[in-house]
Amino acid sequence: MPHVEVLPNSASVAAPGWTYVVDNGYDPSKIAINPKDRKRAATRPGGPRGENELSARQQIAIARRIAELERDNDPKQSIPVPGKSSVPKTQNARRIIQYQRQIKHWLDDEIAQLQQAPPPPPRAAGPGARTAAQPLRRASTMTGPPPTPSEATPGLVTPGIITPVLGNRPASDIDPLLSVDSSIPAPLRPAELEALLSAPPLSYAASHAAPPPSGGPPQRQFCDNCGYWGKIKCLKCGARICGLECKDAHEATRCLKWA
Amino acid sequence: MPPKGWKKASAAAPAKTLVLDNGAYTLKAGLVAASANPSYDDCHVLPNCIARSVRDRRTYVSSELYQCRDFGELAFRRPVEKGFIVNWEAEKAIWEHELLDETAGEGLRCNPKDTNLLLMEKPNCPKELQKNCDEIVFEQFEFRAYYRCVGPILNAYHPPIPPSLSSLPQECLLIIDTSYSDTTILPLYSGQLIQAAVRRLTVGGKLLTNYLKELASLRHYNMMEETYLLNEIKEAVSFVAPSAQQYTTDLERTWKGRLGDKRAIDSSIVVDYVLPDYEGSIHGYARPHDPVQSRMRRGLQPLQGPREDVLPLGNERFAVPELLFRPTDIGIQEAGIPGAIMESLSVLPEAMKAAMLTNIVVVGGNSLIPGFIERLESELRPLVPTEYLLNVSKAEDPIKHNWLGAARFASQPELLKEVLVSKAEYDERGSTWLAKKFSWGER
Ligand SMILES: [Zn+2]
Ligand SMILES: [Zn+2]
Repeated sequence: MPHVEVLPNSASVAAPGWTYVVDNGYDPSKIAINPKDRKRAATRPGGPRGENELSARQQIAIARRIAELERDNDPKQSIPVPGKSSVPKTQNARRIIQYQRQIKHWLDDEIAQLQQAPPPPPRAAGPGARTAAQPLRRASTMTGPPPTPSEATPGLVTPGIITPVLGNRPASDIDPLLSVDSSIPAPLRPAELEALLSAPPLSYAASHAAPPPSGGPPQRQFCDNCGYWGKIKCLKCGARICGLECKDAHEATRCLKWA
Repeated sequence: MPPKGWKKASAAAPAKTLVLDNGAYTLKAGLVAASANPSYDDCHVLPNCIARSVRDRRTYVSSELYQCRDFGELAFRRPVEKGFIVNWEAEKAIWEHELLDETAGEGLRCNPKDTNLLLMEKPNCPKELQKNCDEIVFEQFEFRAYYRCVGPILNAYHPPIPPSLSSLPQECLLIIDTSYSDTTILPLYSGQLIQAAVRRLTVGGKLLTNYLKELASLRHYNMMEETYLLNEIKEAVSFVAPSAQQYTTDLERTWKGRLGDKRAIDSSIVVDYVLPDYEGSIHGYARPHDPVQSRMRRGLQPLQGPREDVLPLGNERFAVPELLFRPTDIGIQEAGIPGAIMESLSVLPEAMKAAMLTNIVVVGGNSLIPGFIERLESELRPLVPTEYLLNVSKAEDPIKHNWLGAARFASQPELLKEVLVSKAEYDERGSTWLAKKFSWGER
């Protein structure tokens, strides 16, 4: 048998610790995800927090839960390597094999190093271009000097001609106000291509996708217990629930769990 | 100045290259000879973990896990975290066990001193970890020659469709790699990664399994120690809803209703997963939902006959993989895969963006979830200018595809010799030089 135990699921709590919520499109993209980032949270546009925004405590709770879901190894468990392992052959190898650090330590180091030494100006130009240390989208109009191709380039780099690929729509389908010129992408300029290909890698932190655009559909809210729509808000922890039955279950299980 | 003998060492490449896609969940490994014609069959998939069972008190290293008969409360130690090799003590033990020692599988065992290593890594690896890796490869394992690169890049060396006789890499190729650690968007131009346009989503197979584990533990049994089983369940029952509208419909159909207004659960979606007991059965299976059985679940087992534990799965089946398309559902402030693709492409010139959209290839295990490709296509289409062609395809074997691209690259001596660095060169010039040589566009 796998290790399973039946969870208590029927506690009855009398206190009306819930409230109905008018869902008028809470926009999560305006909330800083990093709960430590108080400065950003304090200076965000939109003034004081509205009814549907998350409290600092809720943000911490969400960040903790995501960290838990993202974890690769359980720090409480130590599984020794079985058998006799071969001897490290150099000092470097010995040091590296003995490291007990986790990925978060290496990523924190990377962030700290980038803060100490600001990276050179970005070489790639474009609306979404980022530099290694820049976690957020920022438009850049800088173009670097024409870079030299890397000696690590595998294969040949032939600045080929990208033929614009258009669908087979009849010409009458295309909005007559759009000139042919504007519907066919301009051909690639060699300098632009070189700049793109030689831009250095982003840091791990900077590589993350941006939040969805604020004009998009609002964040969906689900019942913390059963996964149905979360139409009611728990007053104690702010989690959403679908009804009274799930409210009881929520209070018996996860209410305030991540806070 | 190159050291003496540099040309000679590079030119006389030995016959075999160990091509290694060192994933967090599995290693994809195989030896590739020069001018071979590698196929998926040449790729060995090996667990990249050391597992320990508190029940049979055994420790399983990598492929030994295939002999395990009781996955209950099995604990895992994984050397790769967030896609990068972090713990070399464990990774070294696994490499030795699977690739070098007499325990290595048939066709895999090699002597590093006369083998090249082509090691595939995830994009945006911290430089310190790359340096550790390079030092271990040459100083501990002493491979004859070595090349490390972002694995999915080498997908450009798959023959294009329609086929051409050219050995040149595909010109524009957009790889979506949705794997255990995360999901990455990688635009490739002529076999080069456009680094500034790489985008990453936190959501990968690991997060989906952990999320299902959390939900099942909250709603039914405490299964927090049953990672292996929950991964198995995820693979057996998950599907991606075809659209946000259908998601809403399915959510209604799987809702229990309110107190005093109970709804009949739509059993076209809800399934019962019969849990293995690890005595008679090693693996579980899904079957149509039986409400009577479900009521008996809580302690009311039949007095006679075998005990059976059943995990009913309703909205978990589609709410879990939905995170790939809506990370905000659990508060991850990232756009879903379609939005991240468009963000990546926004960095590129328009002509290149248009060409990338005609050649999107999805790799990685999450693309095996039924409905994934269909949903991706249908959510991408409205984001793409109407006059552009859109072509999304799934790799034939999404788990081995990165490996096969790399194997095809490694089988061409003229390509390989351009990038390999020999141990002699490393000994002469050191790891800082090597890191620069392997990194793109940096001197
Ligand atoms: Zn509920
Ligand atoms: Zn609560």
